[in-house]
Amino acid sequence: MNYLRATNLGEVTALLEEYPEALLLCGSTDAALQLRHRPETATLIDIHALEELKGVSAEGDRMRIGTLVTLNELLYSDAVRESLPLLAACADTFGSHQIRNLATVGGNIANASPAADLTAALVALEASVTLASQDGERSVPLETLFCGYKCTKLDHELITAVTVPLQTGSWYYRKAGMRERLNIAKVSIALTHGSGGFRISGASLGPSPVRFRTLEALLDGGVYDDAAIKAALENDADPSGGYRSTKAYRLRVAFNMIKEALSQPEER
Amino acid sequence: MQITCTINGKIHRFDCAPETRVLDLVRDAGMTSVKAGCGEGECGACSLFVNGRLVNACLLLAPQIHDAEIVTLEGLQEETAAIRESFAEHGAVQCGFCTPGFVLRAYDYLSHGGERSEEAIRAALDGNLCRCTGYKKIVEAITKVKS
Repeated sequence: MNYLRATNLGEVTALLEEYPEALLLCGSTDAALQLRHRPETATLIDIHALEELKGVSAEGDRMRIGTLVTLNELLYSDAVRESLPLLAACADTFGSHQIRNLATVGGNIANASPAADLTAALVALEASVTLASQDGERSVPLETLFCGYKCTKLDHELITAVTVPLQTGSWYYRKAGMRERLNIAKVSIALTHGSGGFRISGASLGPSPVRFRTLEALLDGGVYDDAAIKAALENDADPSGGYRSTKAYRLRVAFNMIKEALSQPEER
Repeated sequence: MQITCTINGKIHRFDCAPETRVLDLVRDAGMTSVKAGCGEGECGACSLFVNGRLVNACLLLAPQIHDAEIVTLEGLQEETAAIRESFAEHGAVQCGFCTPGFVLRAYDYLSHGGERSEEAIRAALDGNLCRCTGYKKIVEAITKVKS
């Protein structure tokens, strides 16, 4: 294995140019297992020590979250709990205390698991990701970063930060799984409802996290009819029927969560 | 690659492959309180502190601890005495395999001012599995640690 330790952002982007297939090492919770099963992975670029990729800061009406911010740093950040309560609620259901001390925001996104808790929550919050390469920085809506199961459009790039508009209005977040904690989502739903209307996304409801736009339009139009909600969900969501649960189960639970979100939203 | 870190205050140097798990490094260095359980971050038996944060040693790769300060249960004998005593008093131990992980998590939780309610303690133990006790005695033991 080719192990490369980066000490600043310029080094990372130069290395990514040279080794586009390299695996970036941040919190290591996914990488460690991946390497055990596929030790032939050619190149590892270690970015875990880069100070410039850490920290949470308010920037006007948005929050900038560095790629190396851990899930526990999110969970215990007063700014996040105050301005992004949905994200704090999501972090609280993420892995375990020991995993939350390692797992990073950027790692959860780049790993592009359909069950990624944080990614679905960030999509509903209309987060953007800042990407850096040798050509400079660009910012894209997080939702547009994915191209299918465990697939991102990152091209010789790394995610340096996530920026999230501060929450307004009401919200809902819920995750279902086999156990109460330390769980991979069978289904989760993240929903916000503000002056711009509904924003809805979910985990384990498609090959990658997406906004449920048909459902959003339906609810924005004031239609709360069960059959219409079911049809909209089936249009937007495409859950796999894996060994962890069937497609029918996932759709049914998602429907129940949407109904609950409409009747018992949290206020911000 | 060369890795240098301190384990329980003593400097250690390792020559190892980058994909080596920290779990294997610390056990080879003699810290056998760090147990090799599930190997996937589920059970918490391999919990240890890295720069003050409790993490799973099975999910941590050697390069991540270069220049870091590692503390295992061996290095916290005095600090965890009251917790270990409470575990013994309340019978919070059966086979004992998970116990070092639970004691470290309890120490981490209580030293950060963790609330002594059953609900909060059960939530705090989300990263530690025990297949013998049913948790009741462990929760009781943590609730009643003498401060």
